[in-house]
Amino acid sequence: MGQFDDTLQFIEELDRAETPETVCRQLLGLTRSFGLTAIMAGTVPRPGTPKGKQKSHVMLCDWPQDWLERYVARNYVDQDPVVTYIKRSPTMVNWRSATSELQAGKTARQVMGDAGEFKLKDGFAFPLITIEGTIVMVSLGGEFVDISPEGVGVVSLASTYAIGRAMQLQNAQAIFDQRPDLTPRETECLKWAAEGKSEWEISQILGISEHTSEKHLLNAKRKLGAANRVHAVAEAIRHGYIS
Amino acid sequence: MIYALTTNELADRSDLWDEVRRLRHKIFVEEMGWDDLRSPDSLESDQFDHDEAVHHLCMRNGRLAGYQRMLPTTRPHLLTDILSDLCEGEGPKGPNVFELTRYAVTHAHRDGRRGVSTVGSELIAGFVEWGLERGVDQVIIEFEPMWVLRALQLSFLARPLGYQRTYGRQQVVATLLTFNEQTLDVVRSRRGHHAPVLSRGMPEDEVFRRAS
Repeated sequence: MGQFDDTLQFIEELDRAETPETVCRQLLGLTRSFGLTAIMAGTVPRPGTPKGKQKSHVMLCDWPQDWLERYVARNYVDQDPVVTYIKRSPTMVNWRSATSELQAGKTARQVMGDAGEFKLKDGFAFPLITIEGTIVMVSLGGEFVDISPEGVGVVSLASTYAIGRAMQLQNAQAIFDQRPDLTPRETECLKWAAEGKSEWEISQILGISEHTSEKHLLNAKRKLGAANRVHAVAEAIRHGYIS
Repeated sequence: MIYALTTNELADRSDLWDEVRRLRHKIFVEEMGWDDLRSPDSLESDQFDHDEAVHHLCMRNGRLAGYQRMLPTTRPHLLTDILSDLCEGEGPKGPNVFELTRYAVTHAHRDGRRGVSTVGSELIAGFVEWGLERGVDQVIIEFEPMWVLRALQLSFLARPLGYQRTYGRQQVVATLLTFNEQTLDVVRSRRGHHAPVLSRGMPEDEVFRRAS
């Protein structure tokens, strides 16, 4: 019961996380007790994806920086036996079994050997499938892993909640990025326009010229793609600039 | 379209009742390996098909394409009587909490992809719509852990009710999903269909449909 309460508390805390980095740190806090000190979760890039684009597939990552650099630089994603295994059969797999079952060749074994240099000696990976049918691969490992089958259940469920939270945050970020870029002054003018103030009244409240307040409102209207002032106010509310 | 029918209403339409029980047997016994439900006539039903159960039938061209069953938690249900080891402590109960069971999509309507099919997402929109209309804002679902991610993508508030365990050929985790109008908006936007999916009437009778 105690351990289950810990899981619930972990999920409550995830809901308060505001960046994927925080989510990742919280997840590691939970997995570390099983010796799982590194996590990588992301969609699997198609073979031949340019190195520059590979990192955009990453959702959560706490690999040693040097290892991540080497992994991308040497295009290990196309050789990694764990990635290959998950692509072929999307089920949970131990790193070692993936290597042996695929009868991994020299390059694949080199990936695993290299990982060992960075204290990534043992671990497991599992797939998650989104609504759209995209496979998200989650891989957890460390130098001295000690985990029971029940522990694997706890860790995989916790990881699923963590990735769900990271996806919610990425979506929120994407919406934020698409927001027109209003200046504080433009926002302020719109706020008063929403209160029914005229350009002259706004200029008096803010201590600026009537011409300047008119200019701020015109700029805001243009940035929001609005047809008139009422429309601009509505768009500003929709985008969360004013309430 | 989704038709929400009580067990009595469904039993009056023996063609549909047979189709429902045949689909349930095919998916849960033959595909997922829940052998306790195996029946010699290949029609699956259980003690929870009582008068307060509500059956959601997703119809396509007059045929059953998807199905789910809503059970009130004010009476015994799967989590209390059958799958109790999926729940740590006391499970949620109340007039605003239903248990969603036997979620199933026919093979013909799985769209051949890994994602959620259009019938699958219609069933999801269906139970949210159905719930919001009658003050139900929480459902208990025993599903594969994979579904947790999808539930979060659809902006449900999700909480596990216990540890995951193996049933038949699957890992299953009991989860409480909480939803509101915003969830319905997200579900509808994801589907690209904003019209309600619940129908008021009865599915057309096959005989009647052929004649007209």
